[in-house]
Amino acid sequence: MKKMKKRRFAALALAAVLALSMTACGSSGDSSGTDNTATTAEAGEAADATTTASGGTFTFGCDYFSEYIDPSVNVNSAWSLVRFGVGETLFAFDEDAVAQENLYDEATTDDYITWTLHIRDGITFSNGKDLTASAVVACWEMMYEKEAAGSSSAPSQYLPDPTFTADDEAGTITVVCSDVTTNLKGILAYPYFAVINVDSYEEGVVDSVIGTGPYVLDSYVEATSKTFVKNETYWNGEVPYDGYTAIYMSDSTTKALAIQSGDVDVVENVTTASDLETLKADSAYTVESTAGGRLANTYFNFEGVLANDALRQAIQYAIDDETMCNITVGGIYTAGCSVLPSSMDFGYDQLTDPYEYDLGKAVEVLDEAGIVDTDGDGIREIDGENINLTYLAYESRQLQTFAEAVATVLNSIGIGVDYQVKDYDTILGLQAAGDFDMVTANSIIVPTGNPDAFLGNFYSGNSQDYGYYSNEEYDAAYEKLIVSTDEDEKMELYVEMQQILIDDAATIVHGYYNSSITYNNSVITGVEMYPLDYTWITTDWAPVG
Amino acid sequence: MAKKITAFVKKYPAFTVFFLLALCVIGVAVFAPLIATHDPYEAVLADAVQAPSAEHWFGTDKMGRDLFSRVIYGARTSLSASLTLVCIIMVVGTFLGIIAGYFGGLVDAVIMRISDMMISFPGMVLAIAVAGILGANIKNAIIALAIVSWTKYARLARSLVIKIRHRDYIAAARVTGSRTSYILYKYMLPNVLPTILITGFTDIGSMMLEIAGLSFLGFGAQSPTAEWGLMLNEGRAYMTAAPWLMVFPGLAIFITVVVFNLLGDSLRDVLDPRHE
Repeated sequence: MKKMKKRRFAALALAAVLALSMTACGSSGDSSGTDNTATTAEAGEAADATTTASGGTFTFGCDYFSEYIDPSVNVNSAWSLVRFGVGETLFAFDEDAVAQENLYDEATTDDYITWTLHIRDGITFSNGKDLTASAVVACWEMMYEKEAAGSSSAPSQYLPDPTFTADDEAGTITVVCSDVTTNLKGILAYPYFAVINVDSYEEGVVDSVIGTGPYVLDSYVEATSKTFVKNETYWNGEVPYDGYTAIYMSDSTTKALAIQSGDVDVVENVTTASDLETLKADSAYTVESTAGGRLANTYFNFEGVLANDALRQAIQYAIDDETMCNITVGGIYTAGCSVLPSSMDFGYDQLTDPYEYDLGKAVEVLDEAGIVDTDGDGIREIDGENINLTYLAYESRQLQTFAEAVATVLNSIGIGVDYQVKDYDTILGLQAAGDFDMVTANSIIVPTGNPDAFLGNFYSGNSQDYGYYSNEEYDAAYEKLIVSTDEDEKMELYVEMQQILIDDAATIVHGYYNSSITYNNSVITGVEMYPLDYTWITTDWAPVG
Repeated sequence: MAKKITAFVKKYPAFTVFFLLALCVIGVAVFAPLIATHDPYEAVLADAVQAPSAEHWFGTDKMGRDLFSRVIYGARTSLSASLTLVCIIMVVGTFLGIIAGYFGGLVDAVIMRISDMMISFPGMVLAIAVAGILGANIKNAIIALAIVSWTKYARLARSLVIKIRHRDYIAAARVTGSRTSYILYKYMLPNVLPTILITGFTDIGSMMLEIAGLSFLGFGAQSPTAEWGLMLNEGRAYMTAAPWLMVFPGLAIFITVVVFNLLGDSLRDVLDPRHE
């Protein structure tokens, strides 16, 4: 008994020593993580300071898209340049996704091939150098040169083979396009065409990027945060804040907790349904959201079993978009039947959806087409083979949740689905190789203000990366669309092409993403979410009071 | 017989209690279809993330599936995976350990150096790497964990064999012409078995945690499988708004791991003569 007591005592003592050493380790771990801890603490203090000081600073929680704010590195870094308010484009999209004047004040063209753009007078880069026509041309030419050298930033994707000529005396740039380009304003509003000062730029040096925007990058902690200060020479009015800190946080729940704890004042895109509900219900915060130009859809592979019309139609009948958008992903998407968002003016109200949700009808279509389960294993067969669809999804804006819900529903009506979540790069590789039956996607439909490029994904000449969809009628309409300069004709073609895709059950449209931004009402005001979310931080963001 | 059982229960009350509890856990897994109130895979999307109620005792998950039924069925996945894993590492590790300990020399050096290589990596990191290469599913998670976990048994078996291989009765067995396989089976194995079994039982809980950990990280069971680690991961996004999505699978893991750990400890009292 004594021995037992001794053993117990020894065990307790050992446990106490272990617990103490773990506590000690925990403390040392905290102090060793100086960068992160310090940044967060400073950010918290900065947040507190915002409410009291005039000017002051604010903190912004956002995804870590790129370390760079350099438009020539990749698409994310180009977006970051504009989103963080460092760089600006000649044209900028307004709340109706229409490209409006920004760094330019006049644009003229006679033939939609040669355009003359006049740069607004009196604009300087944040280093004090003038924004001249040749400075703009130098920046754009650098972008094209870097693309040719292998950069993944691809301005030619939207404006192929242009020539730029600068006239500094007249303050104009002449852009000669390789083909009829009716939407040059929209194209030049894309972040690839944001203007930076080439003279101060050094490749790979994060803080060498100087733009014309209201803020300037001051310092950064890699993959952790960036601190921006006000551009003292900003051309478009007073910048309300002395600066701000962007803190990277990729996890949606972390973002929600960070704004609730006061660590940040603004967060973008909280995507977890429950967290978004909590923030919406709390009067201390405002959730600004807009049905944007992002589509969540699933491409079918027409070179596999999904070439079967009845199978695709049954899948369309089986999917309850409204419930999936409103409940499964908690309202962060708006349901719809067409690839072009219902919130934009592309004739959505003229479309008819023959495949409204009806699970019974889905089963009926399968049975009528002879797609039945003959061996009693619960999975229907086509040509004697069990249907087992490989469904690829990646984790972005709840795509994986949509895919899981679709897989669950299809399994329930005897369509076998092998649902796999993989990283985005792997998915792209498998998609390009045609190694899938269904694959989720989240795309900006109108990156430059019109959907022509996106609709090209279903053109048989381009569709090899998107499941080999092919329809002669659609191809003919697309060929007309890309050369048309008549807005009415284009609108008719948009409607016609959308209806063809719907009737063909060419893709599963999950919904249109509602981009959101959440801010603390007592700290900041003027925060707005644009449908094309290239724009985040503007001079409208100002301290309360 | 009844007397013997009564005597055993009186002598080892702790083992008896934990053994019965472990039987209950296994019973839940075996009789899951009888206990579950709903089909664990039946999704009613409109009923997603409902709080616990009379209809859904543990609430529903994001796909509107009954959480109670999924937790019950999760016992099948988690238990069978952990038991399979422990059996694999126990058999492989013990076999290699006995061989290494008995033969010594080059065989010992090769087996033990491989073992050293395995334990020089952080186990979970290596398991994640293996699961990442092989692909994410519960079978590959078991393989990944088996690759990094057999070494403990090999080292244990080897040291126990080394302790007895020069004993007189082993020498006598050799002299009398016993075959090596006979000596290994008849003398070596029985000597290592109690310790190995105790270690194996104690490992069931920790292996269950490792499998749940891999599933939580996305390297183990994949949706829609009812598996506790995966359920924890699925509930993570709803931690504040719907905590029951994490609480119930978490409790299931906690209870099962505690029961098997205590069973392993009490088995030591039964099998290890030094505790007499």
